[in-house]
Amino acid sequence: MTAFLINLATLAAISGILASTLNFIVGYAGIFSVAHAVFFGLGAYGGAQVALLLVPNPFLACLVAAVIAGGLSLCLALPALRVRGEYFVAASLGLQMVAATLFAELKPLTGGIGGLVGIPRPEILGTIVPVLPLALAALALILWATARLQRGTFGRTLQSIRDADSAAESLGKNVNAAKTLAVVFACAGAGVAGALYALHLSFINVESFTLDQSIQIMAMVIIGGAGTLWGPLVGAVLLLSLPAVISFIPFIPPTEVGAVQQIIYGTAMTLLMIFRPAGLLGDMSKGKSTA
Amino acid sequence: MTGIALRSENLSRSFGGVQAVAGVSLSLPEGQVTALVGPNGAGKTTTFNLITGNLRADSGTAEIRGKPIMGLKPWQVARLGVARSYQDLRLFTHMTVRENVLAATETSSWFWQPGGRRAQQQREHRAESAMEATGLTALADARAVDLAYAERKFLSMARILAAEADIWLLDEPASGLDLSSRIRFGTLLKDAQARGVAICLIEHNLDVVVELSNRIAFLDQGKVLAEGDPQTILKDPALAAIYFGDRPQEAA
Repeated sequence: MTAFLINLATLAAISGILASTLNFIVGYAGIFSVAHAVFFGLGAYGGAQVALLLVPNPFLACLVAAVIAGGLSLCLALPALRVRGEYFVAASLGLQMVAATLFAELKPLTGGIGGLVGIPRPEILGTIVPVLPLALAALALILWATARLQRGTFGRTLQSIRDADSAAESLGKNVNAAKTLAVVFACAGAGVAGALYALHLSFINVESFTLDQSIQIMAMVIIGGAGTLWGPLVGAVLLLSLPAVISFIPFIPPTEVGAVQQIIYGTAMTLLMIFRPAGLLGDMSKGKSTA
Repeated sequence: MTGIALRSENLSRSFGGVQAVAGVSLSLPEGQVTALVGPNGAGKTTTFNLITGNLRADSGTAEIRGKPIMGLKPWQVARLGVARSYQDLRLFTHMTVRENVLAATETSSWFWQPGGRRAQQQREHRAESAMEATGLTALADARAVDLAYAERKFLSMARILAAEADIWLLDEPASGLDLSSRIRFGTLLKDAQARGVAICLIEHNLDVVVELSNRIAFLDQGKVLAEGDPQTILKDPALAAIYFGDRPQEAA
């Protein structure tokens, strides 16, 4: 039972990082990306390769993962940032599809469909350490950085771009540069989450980095409350805990858990959008018409 | 007070088969208000968009105090001292009044602004001054989306004031304002004029034009048909016919 809870807490912390970093671009900059799992995957493969080929040092794995995910987000974000709104969603969807295919096909780097196995446990100074404290520390660091950026001038710049990018630009803000910085920061964070995920599970494959994962991360942000500091974390914990809670309900046959979970997801999402469109911790007035 | 802050020569732009702007040449003198007047579709807002880099011109040039600005991006033009307002205001709706105005003082796109604490205090002071000048101090913590229409208009002006630009391009800034608000708006413009700001105003309310502008450029079908002092231009019967839609029919 303890191992189960530690596993759940570790995955919740990693999901919290993913949701918080996606929230940074969705909630503050208004960039609706459905490709966050790509950068999660890039970090996971990068961190795993560091552990497999070099040394299972979690700090080095996370650093390499952040550089790879952040760096590649720069190359891929620049053309995509030329489009906005639903066009950006479509562009990021295309990126997600291409990346998932590459993850499955680039066997020397990703292990292909079979993935990478036998990723060593993380070690610090020769001692094997659990991933949970590392994931919690990374989550705390990312929440702190997000809060600092959100309350500072960069947060104001992103919010001004989200609300009226042409007006922000006519006030002297280099909109593309600010958006790119936000995307790099968010994707580097997703890369760190990926490295921790790989070190935690010791096995990764493309199944964890598909469109389903991107949508689940987006759901965490929306359910918790986009544009809030704690909302995405609440959304991550809720969405990760739900399957575990359902599996403990005695009168639901184990074979029906998946179906019940889908029904609960669907009903909860519908009710949430009706009664709290801005998410559980979101600003209630945001989801309502102001006409 | 007599220098030319912004000058454009033969600006042209077409959309498909429609010639929206056809060789517009404009000069905006420092400390003067120039009104762009003309019927809907005359090319007034498109001219603004060409100057500010929101649209690329098919041909023509524009310069700010001798520095060419064609081909620059809107944020680069803004950093040369050009501020503009929009017909639809484009406020940062979910930000407070103070945040809207502060945002106008922060042009760096990096994670932080240059200049440290001292520069930050100066920016905050500029924002407070702009809110005071526009009568928005009491509403500093209200969100833009919750403001009344006239207050939104003044918030748009507060952002321009805080930006400390010396060329203002204002797109129908007085439309929908009641008399007392228009008087406040006029005071803002006259104060800016006294500081040497070059102002270009698109306005359909001819009373506002007569009261506030020093000169008028009359546009129709993408061309400047006439330029001069307001009384002369507005008394021209041919221009009045065009403005009020009573355009003389061309011979078949």
